[in-house]
Amino acid sequence: MISRWMYISLVILYCFLLGPFIIIFMASFGANANLAFPPQGFTLDWFANVFETSQFIDSFWISLQLALLSTIVSLVMGMPVAYALTRFDFAASGTVETVFSAPILVPGLVIGFAMLNFFVLLGDMQVMTGLFIGHTAILFPYSVRVISASLRNLDPYVEDAAVSLGANRLRGFLLVVLPNMQAGIAAAFVLGFITSFNNVPVSLFLSGPGVTTLPVSMLSYLEYYFDPTIAALSTLLVIFTVVLVQAAERVLGLSQFV
Amino acid sequence: MIRRPNQSRTIILLVAPAIVFVIVFFILPLIFLLSQSVVLEDGSFTLTGYLDFFQSRVSRIVYLRTLRLGLIVTGICVLMSYPAAFVLARMPARRRSFLMSLVILPLMTNAVARTFAWLIILGRRGMINQTLLSLDLVETPLRFIFTETAIVLGLTQLFLPLMVLPLVSAMENIPDDVLEAARSLGANRLTTFLRIVVPLSSDGLVLGATLVFTGSVTAFVTPAILGGSRLLLMSTLLRQKAVILFDQHAAAVVAVVMIVTTLAVNLLLRVLRVKQS
Repeated sequence: MISRWMYISLVILYCFLLGPFIIIFMASFGANANLAFPPQGFTLDWFANVFETSQFIDSFWISLQLALLSTIVSLVMGMPVAYALTRFDFAASGTVETVFSAPILVPGLVIGFAMLNFFVLLGDMQVMTGLFIGHTAILFPYSVRVISASLRNLDPYVEDAAVSLGANRLRGFLLVVLPNMQAGIAAAFVLGFITSFNNVPVSLFLSGPGVTTLPVSMLSYLEYYFDPTIAALSTLLVIFTVVLVQAAERVLGLSQFV
Repeated sequence: MIRRPNQSRTIILLVAPAIVFVIVFFILPLIFLLSQSVVLEDGSFTLTGYLDFFQSRVSRIVYLRTLRLGLIVTGICVLMSYPAAFVLARMPARRRSFLMSLVILPLMTNAVARTFAWLIILGRRGMINQTLLSLDLVETPLRFIFTETAIVLGLTQLFLPLMVLPLVSAMENIPDDVLEAARSLGANRLTTFLRIVVPLSSDGLVLGATLVFTGSVTAFVTPAILGGSRLLLMSTLLRQKAVILFDQHAAAVVAVVMIVTTLAVNLLLRVLRVKQS
């Protein structure tokens, strides 16, 4: 059934998907500043430049804090919703599901713009708070969906057994359900972290003076400088992501949730 | 399913914190945005913002260009993914899971990094121009950046995984027996593919197309880097109106048009899916 042409199309697909990464990787070690290809010579200067550019270091810490905080909050608030959706049969469940998938349907740039106008310009909210709210909102769809999937795989009778043996609902959840959901929670965490850490559209409008996320500061660096520093930084981020994703995929099978 | 007398109270307690968060922090700003697009500074109701948008040549061109490029990107993604996804779906599980993680990898890296590669490929001294120059095919470097081709290439690379993933998971569910039956009844490869594989994976196709199209028409980073202010799409137009022209009223109109477009596409394709099944 599988012809040679299909294999060729597979090769083309992977060249297209991964080729740009190989090019970035090569460019980040090249000595010429004008991004000519193929790169001439070999240098680590661009990597040094990444660590000497304070806007990258500052925004890296902001992105890290933001991703951790918004992922944790969206998980803590999303988990009860996933529990309600999978363990109870109620009339409004369809509406609840729609509400929590809404942040995926609205373009990120529009979310950021609406929040800027409403909270920052009208409500005088702090930049970091605005970013936190925006990121948490866009993570709900992922955390609710992934946790729901993980709860559906767990037999509800296991929990009922704990309750009939004398545990109350909360204890049953904490002692029986939660330990069995570790993989789902970890998957939701990795997915949420990466989504927030890489987000540009929501952060773009919400970033303010001195408070910028890493991808947004990479974008604004590009407006002024056209050199391989971004390639070096991208290489570092790709390595960071490969390690994270390969570990998650090995342990949890991340691709079934995306 | 658990049924208890105070069930509805439990459900409300479980769902309330997150629902309140989404309503206050997500839905309210969107309602405010909607009101900004129809209310003037003196508080009077108006639809002139929308009239201006659709009457202005520039914004009409930008809107149509955005939709057109979105369709082209979706089409290219379908053509590139379909045969490849079939090969992936028929592979032994171990090899497939490795190759699938390579499909996800680009999805997990930020769009600035991924779009930057195209500057190196398409730039004045980039890969393509250097090749053309060294082969004496051109005398001066060609301009690829700030063209629609550049944007299409960038967006295709960005959203290809969103087409491959749903297609592979739809095709995994096609049993081998069905394909063998088609072959043994005399269908050739192409017929089997078009009449068995495509209809049975149409769910994945529709989902993938929705994700790729809505992603393409709302993406910001790729048109910002590869199109700039010379070749605006809706997202870069929104940014220009809001940040450079500081016209919040017009920017709100662009934003609402973007929301309506993505919602309409999602709704349309959802109806298609229901009809199929």
